[in-house]
Amino acid sequence: MSTAQTELDEAVAVFLGAYRARPALVAQQAGWSPTIALRATDTGASARVRFADGRPQPDADAGPPTLVVSSDQRTLEEVLRLRLGPNEPYLFGELTVQGPEADFVRLDYIATELCPL
Amino acid sequence: MTPHEPERPGPVALLAVGCGTAIASVCALGLVQIQRTLSGAWGVAAVVTAGALCLVLARAFSRLTHVVPSGAGLPAFLSRAFGRRVGLRLALPYLLLMIALAGVETRIVGVLLARALGIPAGCGAAAFLLVAWAVCRRGIRPGYRVQFAATAVLMVLLGVLAAMSLLRAPAGALAGAAAPSPAAFLAAVGQAFFLFMGFELLTSHVEVAGSSRPIGRALRHTVWILILFYGLLAAGFAVEPARPDRADWLTPQVGMAEAAGGAPAAVAVIVACLLASYTSFAGALLALSRLVQVLAGQGVFPRPLARVDPRRLVPARALDALTLAGALAAAAIDGRAATLAVLGAAAAAATLVYAGVLWARERPPFREDGRSRGAGLAAAALAVVLLALGAGALWEALPPAARILEVVHAR
Repeated sequence: MSTAQTELDEAVAVFLGAYRARPALVAQQAGWSPTIALRATDTGASARVRFADGRPQPDADAGPPTLVVSSDQRTLEEVLRLRLGPNEPYLFGELTVQGPEADFVRLDYIATELCPL
Repeated sequence: MTPHEPERPGPVALLAVGCGTAIASVCALGLVQIQRTLSGAWGVAAVVTAGALCLVLARAFSRLTHVVPSGAGLPAFLSRAFGRRVGLRLALPYLLLMIALAGVETRIVGVLLARALGIPAGCGAAAFLLVAWAVCRRGIRPGYRVQFAATAVLMVLLGVLAAMSLLRAPAGALAGAAAPSPAAFLAAVGQAFFLFMGFELLTSHVEVAGSSRPIGRALRHTVWILILFYGLLAAGFAVEPARPDRADWLTPQVGMAEAAGGAPAAVAVIVACLLASYTSFAGALLALSRLVQVLAGQGVFPRPLARVDPRRLVPARALDALTLAGALAAAAIDGRAATLAVLGAAAAAATLVYAGVLWARERPPFREDGRSRGAGLAAAALAVVLLALGAGALWEALPPAARILEVVHAR
């Protein structure tokens, strides 16, 4: 459990690092302030990221999530480490989302922009 | 973890979505076609039989949504049960036929606008497509309240007109028809699946509904409402005097309105149909564009279609491509024979997908531990019945298609 949690946290850090390295992409998300929860259905590992005006915030635990993204640990890590676009597991039912469609579409857009595939 | 979502759709909004995606102007044409295969109450019986089978399907979809609460819907369910390749192959014909149906709906809207405004039908159809495309491209989608209003007005109006037709009809007009052959009845049941096609798109709202429970309830209630509505409408059309060579064959609901309530009723039905067509069309265009975008990301369609407009967050190029495909379909599906062939093919595609759904429900990850073997066998038998019904609907649609091929060949 602790290993899975550590690996998920590391994968989240990779994603946020890549996002922060694209100032134009961050600026494009101005006005977007969701709290996104990630949940690994097979290991129980989870993570939260809060955005304020498009910028990731350090106080991730504040408030309930607006969007919950669930998948198995491997798929979540693959997406967060930018080895896999989120569209693919979503289309095939391996990644599910709970929350406003607009938030997921925006998250999907960001991930697709960051994903080199 | 449950997301905080202040604007979850309520039970009424979900019912409006379920009914709104299933009911389009083209459904009236489907009902009249069923009445041409079977007369009187037999047409109503065919609609009710298809509806009863859809109630079983609603339970299966409910289970699928509970296990995989995905807005991707059919491709997600079928891929999880059968693997990616088979899942996509099962879902794609259904999605492609939805584009063909969008073309037919566009032609119908053109005819409705021609009657309302006196403009050429082609111009009306083109204007409808352009407006829907422009609004969708700006990321504006019909809200739950608009969908509810449009669907409710159309259903109440057509329901009242059908009831008036029944009240005016001579005694025995509905019950006096001769019994059809079993093959004709089963083919008509297959055709009737076309009427319910789209009710399952309700499952894509599970992401905003908060859980799968309200979706399961709405699926069952939607099918019940559709059975009552289509049953009443089928009865209304059954007692109408047969007018096979009418110029307005694409819009039989307007003819029924004129007969029951004169010109004011016809105008009211035209306005209600236009509203319902728009909300149904725009909703389908946005949902399908998202799917085309995702499939383009997988290389199923050209990769540029996967691009998302960063400002509006809509798959703009997928929307462009779908609108163009809809326009081409509207131009190509010309005449009664081609239109009815599309309706028959759509019914067959629907039954294929629905059979797949019944089968998927009995496979991992959807099958519960300890589920009886009998339930699995019953589902398999029902899936075979659905495939046979779809084949019957396709068979009914083939003669006109064959005639088209003959005409093309002769040219």
